[in-house]
Amino acid sequence: MKKTFKNRAFWSVLMTILLLYSCSDSFLEVPVTGSLNQALLSTGPGLEASLIAVYSQVNGRANRMGSPSNWVWGSIRGGEANKGTDPGDFSDINPIQRFEALPTQGVINDKYNANYEGIARANSVMRLIPLAPEETQVQKDQKVSVSAQARFLRAHFYFELARGFDKTPYVDESIDVTGGGVEGGIEDVPNNVSLWPKIEADMQYAYANLPETQGEIGRVNKWAAASYLAKIYMYQGKFTEAKALFDLIIPAAYGGTGGGKTSNGKTYGLVPKFADIFRASNDNHEESVWAYQAAAGTGSINNANPEFDLNWPYNTGADGPGNCCSFFQPTFEMGNSFRTAGGLPLLDDGAGTYAPGYNLAANELKTDMGLESKDAFTPDAGELDPRLDHSIGRRGIPYLDWQDFPGKAWIRNQPNAGPYETKKYAYYKTDKGTLQDNSSWTPGYTAINYTIIRFADVLLMAAEAEYEVGSPTRALALVNYVRARAANPAGFVLKGGVPAANYVINPYPGPWAKDAATLEKIRFERKLELSGEGHRFYDLARWSGVYGAPASDYMDRVINAYLTYEAPKLPSGAFNGTTFTSPQDRFLPLPQGQIDLLGADVLTQNPGY
Amino acid sequence: MKKLYESLSLTLAMLLMLASVALAQDRPVTGTVSDETGAGMPGVNVLVKGTPTGTVTDVNGKYSLAVPANATLVITFVGYKTTEVQVGERTNIDLALEVDLTSLDEVVVTGYSIDKRRELTGSVSTVKTRDLTVAPSGNVEQMLQGRVPGVTVITNGQPGTTSQIRVRGFGAFGGNQPLYIVDGVPTDNVNFLNPDDIETTTVLKDAAAASIYGARAAAGVIVYTTRKGKKGQKLNITYDGLYGFTNPGSGQDMMNPTDFAEWTWNAQKNTALQNGTPVAKQLSDFNHPQFGGGLTPVIPDYLMVGPTVSGFSGNVDLAAEKLKYNVDPRLGSTYQVMAANREGTDWYKEITRNAPVIRQTLGFNGAGENSRFYVGLSAQDQAGILLNNSFKRYALRVNSEFDVLKNVRIGENIQATYRSVLGIDGDEGGQGVAANENDILSAFRMPSIIPVHDVFGGYAGTAAKGFNNPRNPVATREGLGNNKGFAGSAFGNIYGEWDIIPGLTARTSIGGTYYNQHTIGYSRWQYENSENNSAFGFNQGQEYRFGWTFTNTLAYKKVFGKHSVEALAGQEALNTGAGWTTDQSGLNPFSWDPNYVNMSNVTRNPATSFQVKGVNFSSLFGQVKYTFNEKYIISGVVRRDGSSRFGSNNRYGVFPAVSAAWRISSESFMQPLSFISDLKIRGGYGTMGNSNNVDPNNQFFLYGGGVPESSYDITGSNKSATTGFYRTRIGNPDAKWETSVTSNIGIDGQMFDGKLDVIIDIWKKDTKDLLYQLPITATAGYNAASPSVNIARMLNQGIDASLGYKGNFTQDLTFEVTLNGSWLHNEISEIAPGQTYLTTINPDFRGIQPIRNQLGKPISSFYGYKVAGLWQSPEEVSAAGGDAFQSGAAQGRFRYEDINGDGKISDADRTYLGSPVPKFTGGFNFILRYHGFDLEGYLYTSLGNKIFNQSKWFTDFYPSFQGAAISERIKDSWTPEHTNTDIPIFESASNFSTNTQANSFYVEDGSYLRFQNITLGYTVPNSTLNKLHMTKLRIFIATNNVFTITGYNGLDPAVGGAADTSFGIDVGNYPLTRSFTAGLNLGF
Repeated sequence: MKKTFKNRAFWSVLMTILLLYSCSDSFLEVPVTGSLNQALLSTGPGLEASLIAVYSQVNGRANRMGSPSNWVWGSIRGGEANKGTDPGDFSDINPIQRFEALPTQGVINDKYNANYEGIARANSVMRLIPLAPEETQVQKDQKVSVSAQARFLRAHFYFELARGFDKTPYVDESIDVTGGGVEGGIEDVPNNVSLWPKIEADMQYAYANLPETQGEIGRVNKWAAASYLAKIYMYQGKFTEAKALFDLIIPAAYGGTGGGKTSNGKTYGLVPKFADIFRASNDNHEESVWAYQAAAGTGSINNANPEFDLNWPYNTGADGPGNCCSFFQPTFEMGNSFRTAGGLPLLDDGAGTYAPGYNLAANELKTDMGLESKDAFTPDAGELDPRLDHSIGRRGIPYLDWQDFPGKAWIRNQPNAGPYETKKYAYYKTDKGTLQDNSSWTPGYTAINYTIIRFADVLLMAAEAEYEVGSPTRALALVNYVRARAANPAGFVLKGGVPAANYVINPYPGPWAKDAATLEKIRFERKLELSGEGHRFYDLARWSGVYGAPASDYMDRVINAYLTYEAPKLPSGAFNGTTFTSPQDRFLPLPQGQIDLLGADVLTQNPGY
Repeated sequence: MKKLYESLSLTLAMLLMLASVALAQDRPVTGTVSDETGAGMPGVNVLVKGTPTGTVTDVNGKYSLAVPANATLVITFVGYKTTEVQVGERTNIDLALEVDLTSLDEVVVTGYSIDKRRELTGSVSTVKTRDLTVAPSGNVEQMLQGRVPGVTVITNGQPGTTSQIRVRGFGAFGGNQPLYIVDGVPTDNVNFLNPDDIETTTVLKDAAAASIYGARAAAGVIVYTTRKGKKGQKLNITYDGLYGFTNPGSGQDMMNPTDFAEWTWNAQKNTALQNGTPVAKQLSDFNHPQFGGGLTPVIPDYLMVGPTVSGFSGNVDLAAEKLKYNVDPRLGSTYQVMAANREGTDWYKEITRNAPVIRQTLGFNGAGENSRFYVGLSAQDQAGILLNNSFKRYALRVNSEFDVLKNVRIGENIQATYRSVLGIDGDEGGQGVAANENDILSAFRMPSIIPVHDVFGGYAGTAAKGFNNPRNPVATREGLGNNKGFAGSAFGNIYGEWDIIPGLTARTSIGGTYYNQHTIGYSRWQYENSENNSAFGFNQGQEYRFGWTFTNTLAYKKVFGKHSVEALAGQEALNTGAGWTTDQSGLNPFSWDPNYVNMSNVTRNPATSFQVKGVNFSSLFGQVKYTFNEKYIISGVVRRDGSSRFGSNNRYGVFPAVSAAWRISSESFMQPLSFISDLKIRGGYGTMGNSNNVDPNNQFFLYGGGVPESSYDITGSNKSATTGFYRTRIGNPDAKWETSVTSNIGIDGQMFDGKLDVIIDIWKKDTKDLLYQLPITATAGYNAASPSVNIARMLNQGIDASLGYKGNFTQDLTFEVTLNGSWLHNEISEIAPGQTYLTTINPDFRGIQPIRNQLGKPISSFYGYKVAGLWQSPEEVSAAGGDAFQSGAAQGRFRYEDINGDGKISDADRTYLGSPVPKFTGGFNFILRYHGFDLEGYLYTSLGNKIFNQSKWFTDFYPSFQGAAISERIKDSWTPEHTNTDIPIFESASNFSTNTQANSFYVEDGSYLRFQNITLGYTVPNSTLNKLHMTKLRIFIATNNVFTITGYNGLDPAVGGAADTSFGIDVGNYPLTRSFTAGLNLGF
């Protein structure tokens, strides 16, 4: 009996030990699924695929406020449009348009995060490059090409940060989080140095190393880098450097000697009809210096301009595009800007308070404010710049190929946001279902490329550079190229076969002197040509020396004049009691969450916040 | 109920009588054993002490036994006190057994072992199966609410929903769901279990009890065993049926059309007041598309006559209009005619219904000579109060055990389940429903003037101008009608047991779970709303998982005189589940007929799929317990776990615990305190682990990509995109187990002959090395998952108490009451150095960010501005400093408290506003029995928790979505004439001082007391049953959720959430409403 016990005990213990032994350490090594490691990406195809992810991030993906369209940061803050919709809808934008930004706002975080994600992706590419083989010339060339594109994109992301926030921490591929993330350099990088030299350096590298054309149109080329670099110079007031580049870019048709062309080899030029700049079917035209390639039906609306999904006429049913949500409604002030007299805009006289003639009661654009759609309304019969009706949806004028804009019926909250809807980057009825993406909660997603730099922008910047360090006569010519295109009658909005309004636009007569009035003409042309495209606030800041050129209070005067004019127009009081104050309102505050995370000793908040 | 033992024991008695052997003895003793009512008790064991000699009583309670001289009889019967009688010279001994009111001899299944409550040293609670079956819940875990001190259950009214089950607080920032053990097999989900199949439910709370499950025990362990056949049992067939319906009750009070119009006007008047605009100008500028622009609103006859006409009063030629009617957007522009519903639509009523429920279980258990079995066949079919919301579960359970040799057994427990939950909302299986903008919120956002249908039968909605963007929730619910989805699963184990020598048993078990799920869904092409989904969508999804557990244990139990030793050693290896998930979707089939639509007939989106390998665990564990004289008990337990979740640096964790108990009532100095029948003091200290809250990939640096995150149309095709790769994860190879250090002091006491039962535990759980996804600077990119590091700490402490009293008013009228209560204190006691809150968790609800997980405060605390009151006048505003003091300050708006006293309201003035963690939860249960009748009631309470009532943002602020429905509460809003109120002025402006900030206006007391169940039952007496050849017949009627007492303004105060770091936010909670049930329990 005793022996049996011992035997049994022995065998059972042995059995247990065997079972334990069978569970070796490798049992606890479970492979990762669906992910890649660094080794798999340190190859030619890996570099290319990593670069795609950087391009992808340019539109901010799901961060509406991270996109380079800058509809809030550039256009709303620049007075071209208001938030639109209801007061309480996405109310995080209200303090932005009222210049009451708080460091805790989510939209500010969006802008910051989306661009740093792009930078992180570019840095990731840059880190992979040295790890990839370079035995052949093909491999070496590929590394140069990939790094030039990555640095172009990184420069772009930092450019957006520098414009928006001024100084933010500069991180490149040499600095990274360490394992565990507890210690390591990246969290200790302060925001105490200017980003501009870094941005310049990356873009110069891109300019020096990118090819003139690319096999795939979505890739940036040498001329896009040249144009962007010139823009970077313009921001810093480096007009000489900028002009030198513009001379290399602008081709013969525009009185230059340059060789600028698109990645698909089209010599830079202005699209004959203004509206064709914003048609998905005409993407990658000769004016597209650098565009975000949007696409519909890819399986994610993140490829179909998700940042614009709220910026459509409201409650249109099947009769209009988007259905939702009446954000980004152009301002009264913007509408008035398109008034012409003798085919020329009515400008500020440059004497003290900014008071352009178009805002005088006699010159204001007639609107259907306060009228129901069923009430009768006759649109303005006065002289107008034809670009008005390519930029702003207003009562009685055809809204693309949908129908005549019905006024209030397509406006969500007229007392809060006025009588207009935005029109650029809206899709056509004929593009429904093909160049438009139906896979989400509204139909407001399109395949229209968002043009980050278009050739008209280049020409107008060149005009400024010429004014500053070249010839005002050349500046006049450059501005007039842009006006001439707008004046092409074949491009007018038609209603019943005839122009929908009294479009009168003429070139500026010469000669131009080097004086404040000329400068105002050049600047104002940018507003008319590029309205709603996210440039205005940054242009105003640039003209006020915010990024380096001589300081002035230009932006303070322009914006406060706009706020003063606009406030009484809106019965809801959306702009009541609003002022723009320098220096704090010139830059956004750094996100409070980042300061809380890194410490106020690392991240210094912008003045006034 | 009183005579339950009769039905249970009749068969047993007869069997044993047949088996009993009459041995030659000195002299016979006869007698009758009777119960407390004097009726004879069949099936009672009568044994001669110290010998195998014995018998059982017959159907009349009579016995006859030959006994030696000086014999002592031991009479035992389950549920009655064991009685010993000296035979002496007597030949006839009649005796009455006393009901055993004590629970000390209750057997407690603790997973790897079975213990008597008397000998427990850890903190363990049990739940009676009766408590699990009383209400028709779709998930047994819900029924733990208020039944177990120390367990917090927050659940909602969706049938089949998962719930927040938290054992002793929140040990970690996530992954706090308890570990479930079903028949010895660990799982993270018990939604397949049919409550009628369950035999025992045990909750292991402290380290002393739970550490045997080591690394997975920190959030508590809930052990279930299912019914089994008993040795010697003849075939017993049971039927349990429950039938009833749930009534949706009424929704929130929203304004009728007249009041709605009037308050729309009041909003304009208030806006004019704030802006200093003349009222007439304000109204004419406003010019509402339905109510006009005059000084008083005009309610129209028609909200919409075609797309251009709104607010029409007068006659419409409907016959002519009908010719233009179109609600099929494929055919071109839609054309609808919507009449105004002057009486007002009750949208809550329109989306809800009286929802039927039926649950039936057929059970067979019995035993052969060398085998035992239980077969359960069950069906539950329960509708939700929302249209097209339903829960179905069909299950077949087969448990059996065979004696292969005298000392070797093999057995299995297995269940096959079909489970279908449709129309449910909320993340984590329904848990997150309250935080979603769901159809219940839609019902409260739809203005009552809008009818459900247009005049020609299509859906009506906000396509009529002026009502903003709520979508017709009836259309949404009805649109779910063709959706399908089910999961097929199997769960169970096969085991073998070998009694090597008496007291030493080896056991091996292989358990597994197989799960697969299929869903198909359709989305409507809408036309009735202002914001419409503009395509018909179809989606399908499939997934499967397979997990396994291999467990081997060796258990030893020996009594040497006054010494008793128990030991357990074991080994376990498991995989939590490997498998695949695939999803496909597409748009716009040629026909919308569900018989036509399939994935081949739509414009397909790219499919998605992913595989999981599951997590592997490898563990060793052991336990030793020594008892002296049933007076001193000491126990030690240790478990070492290795997990593939962690890198090789820190893969293993060791979790020991020690505990001791002292039966103080056995000491002589306690004898004078005769009212104490039993008193035991317990203490335990030890550690438990947790790894739930860390991704298995946490150890790696990874790259990846997907269409939404990183694709780009590099070729300019306008229709396709190439996927690129970016860094998706920053790894931490050094992460290790979270460790909860727990200490527990408890008493188990019985007083007044066991009538009063007291269990009290005072406990503390300190989780160190808390895994916390370290926020990484934005400069590193937000898309790379940041690594979890062991850096934070969380403290939970509390008191669990349970009191039970059993007694009788008269001989026939007996009662039982149970009172459970738990106090909980939860606090984030440490996070990363230099940080004061979790910057990564900041959920946003329409711009309101109500949550901050803050150092020194409970998890998921509410955070924002504290409302000091409403600004009462322009003078008060300017005296304070106007806009410079508080942006947007004006009369009737919120005045915030200047917390830091710097004379300016800024983000630095935000502060802690309350916690959703209840400070106290408790349950009260009572039973009254009178002859065959029983009346049982059950109340639950949750006290001291706050709710962030985000739904008010939608219904109580005009500018949020101007034109949507308005709450009745607004009639009490601030006006210059009505200033004594907390509700701000109803006006257009949306700014810092109105509706854009998280503030204490939204924070409400979430305390409530709910009368959860009252049941009246009748059990047919044995005498009648015998004639019917039945063993049991009970009928009952019940009402659930009889009433709720709460000060909370929302629909239901039970507001949970999908994540522990953000819960208690009520955007649109799915309420628990009253249900009426009747039921039948039969036994043959």
